[in-house]
Amino acid sequence: MDKQKLIASLNEIVGPDNVLSSEMDLMLYSYDASLDKAKPDVVVLPDSTEEVSKIMALAYKEKIPILGRGSGTNLTGGTVPIKGGIVVHFSRMNRILEIDYANRTATVQPGVITLDLQTEVLKKGFVYQPDPASQKVSTIGGNVSENSGGPHCLKYGVTSNHVQGLEVVLNDGTVINTGGKARDNAGYDITALVVGSEGTVGLVTKAILKLERAPESVKTLLAIFDAIEDGANTVSAIVAEGIIPATLEMMDNTVMRAVEETIKVGYPLDAACVLIIELDGMPEGMDDNASKIVEICRQNHVRDVRLAKDEAERNVLWAGRKGAFGSVGQVRPSYLCCDGTVPRTKLPEVLNQVIEIGKKYNLPIGNVFHAGDGNLHPLIMFDERDEDERSRVLKASTEILKACADAGGTISGEHGVGMEKLKETAFIFNECDLEFERQIKRAFDPDDIINPGKMIPANS
Amino acid sequence: MNIVQLKKLSYDEVAKCNKCGFCLPSCPTYLVKKAESYSARGRNAITRFAIENKLELNEDTERAIFTCLGCGACTAVCLSSVQTKDLIFQNRECQVDAGFYPKVAKRLVKILEESHNISDEDQEDRAEWQELIKELPEDAFEKETADVVFFVGCVASFFPMVQKIPANMAKIMQSAGVDFTILGGEEWCCGFPLIGAGMPEKLAAMKDHNLKKVAKVGAKTIVFTCPSCYHTWHHFYKSDAKLMHASQLILELIKDKKIEFNKNIKGVATYHDPCDLGRNTGVYEEPREIIKAIPGLEFVELPMNRKFSVCCGGGGNVEMTDPDLSAQVAQTKLASIKAVGADTVLTACQQCVRTMETRAKRSKTDLVVKDLTQLVIEAME
Repeated sequence: MDKQKLIASLNEIVGPDNVLSSEMDLMLYSYDASLDKAKPDVVVLPDSTEEVSKIMALAYKEKIPILGRGSGTNLTGGTVPIKGGIVVHFSRMNRILEIDYANRTATVQPGVITLDLQTEVLKKGFVYQPDPASQKVSTIGGNVSENSGGPHCLKYGVTSNHVQGLEVVLNDGTVINTGGKARDNAGYDITALVVGSEGTVGLVTKAILKLERAPESVKTLLAIFDAIEDGANTVSAIVAEGIIPATLEMMDNTVMRAVEETIKVGYPLDAACVLIIELDGMPEGMDDNASKIVEICRQNHVRDVRLAKDEAERNVLWAGRKGAFGSVGQVRPSYLCCDGTVPRTKLPEVLNQVIEIGKKYNLPIGNVFHAGDGNLHPLIMFDERDEDERSRVLKASTEILKACADAGGTISGEHGVGMEKLKETAFIFNECDLEFERQIKRAFDPDDIINPGKMIPANS
Repeated sequence: MNIVQLKKLSYDEVAKCNKCGFCLPSCPTYLVKKAESYSARGRNAITRFAIENKLELNEDTERAIFTCLGCGACTAVCLSSVQTKDLIFQNRECQVDAGFYPKVAKRLVKILEESHNISDEDQEDRAEWQELIKELPEDAFEKETADVVFFVGCVASFFPMVQKIPANMAKIMQSAGVDFTILGGEEWCCGFPLIGAGMPEKLAAMKDHNLKKVAKVGAKTIVFTCPSCYHTWHHFYKSDAKLMHASQLILELIKDKKIEFNKNIKGVATYHDPCDLGRNTGVYEEPREIIKAIPGLEFVELPMNRKFSVCCGGGGNVEMTDPDLSAQVAQTKLASIKAVGADTVLTACQQCVRTMETRAKRSKTDLVVKDLTQLVIEAME
């Protein structure tokens, strides 16, 4: 379809103010928080499911690639329009439609910022659990598509465990509803399939999310170690003891130093690593668990364990953790995050391999990650403007993900495959696995127009 | 400035933006417009693409770059501490040289060069606000020498809505026995609007003139009710005099018991941190201490306060370049003030007063907008 005609058609659907097509606007939708870039042909900001349906029907009729985008905080190129086409920016569809405290659900549009929902329900003593570090800017639509995790997902599960139903616009503009407010639903679990599909099977226009009571009490500990291995061993020892804390986060020296540049947390800058261990739930028994954790830390040569005295201290500890990714910009302007997961007991071994890979390619690597889940986030720091460095980074990233896969783990904990890790899917899937995924994709989108070129490598 | 110069000046800084997007919800214009070009991340990307010759400066980039409020809220939440406001103003210089900048900016420069004030008024009328003070002999505040120069600023001198600010400040100082003078017709615009307009080099003449006039008075202290004049003197002037914002001087006067409060003030008030006073110059606590010293007044904080304060919509010359956008940002600000249950918003800036009061009137929002100087006078009487 001629571009001017496409723009005219979209103008009719959403009004000209909500169709962006200048060279500048296209450049500004060519990126997300990853290293990838590709320009769309047009950007559209719809305000309703009906408009999204019409946009999708148009894309279907004209065979134009189309993808959804929230705040563009993706780390693997999920919202980079590699095949051009239409980018649907959900920033205007940011309404909390209903909060049903009796049934403990919230129904929201995809553009709602995760923290905005969390702040709203907390007023009544409820929580929406998934807490990606980017929660203050990431959107529910993005969280659903990437199946986002976060520190508290160790105990409470990732986004897929908190989505009860969806409204999805299919490839031809048809609107379907999956799941619902009832917890058990008949038929295929389409909700589960759509969550984490990286926006490749349809556009989510509504989500019914699960709410829970906020925990009665919370205890946050900062355990300081002089050796990374001791920290890593502590993690598996705690879980082996049968205690599942709300969080078990690790941060190494490099990352702590970067964080302290912007947020004055008071991390011990001479330590090798820290663990942020949070317990939550009923106050009864919490002290016992905390004592057990302190004991395990001691057995693993902890230097010191500090307890956050109050909410303010707790908040500042978390501000540091959640700001870790962005903070590495204090060290080098760009970073690539390798989101690999390994069985917990393999953490020390794989962390050592990460250090070796950093040395091999002469690149600084910081570690900040969901240790309890075995979900590593080595942050390779570099300057995107340096081509040589950039190519070394990509090689190092592949090697790190290979190390994770070889240790019995996987290549994505929560950031998705996107376009960044397409070839690395070979580390964990065989051709039959991949072909089956392609069959599923074709069932939803035979023309391959919905976020094409993502998550599943093209048939070789 | 051309692209090569911009690269030299801005490339390393703008490259620190790793596009994490944490600035998006802090950018008042993004929250209103909901498109990337109205966000800090988007504007930094424009600068970067321009430097890398991937994007030409044109009317579109002009619109994006000249609608930044210059409020600095993005940097307050930026984990890489990218100095976006500075980058935007540098980019504006480039836009100006490329010929893509708002017509109103061109007019502004001409007015400033010819009239030495932003309102294109007769300089002799600069002290017109004195008429608001009853029984005052003419030129009472215009002395040959004094300890303190009160730098009034253009907006408070010429906009009737906020002329009460200098009048009240003068009354406070007079009552406290401060030896002060104004420069009257010899006060020139500080040049702040030129920075926002992307023409900082034109500031020199104004700076030289004002420094010379202050030196002639022999003042050791210069006091400002305008945070932007105060900010400009702080960052762009080199003066040996002590620079004080009105709130700092008033607090000193309270502590020295030079002024006393005799009247209970009823109501629930909140405080709006002006960007150029708080985030951009670091004055957060003095205004709060003054408010807390006022008998009877109940005080509530806005959820976004101090360095996270949200701009009123009056910053960055946006009121001139895109009045609708400025008004929409102001409306959002008013909503956040009403949400904390305040019947009064206090601030310490004539521009914030103007922006919020105008918006409150137009939208029929039931809200009293007051500069701190007015609150102080009311409690003193």
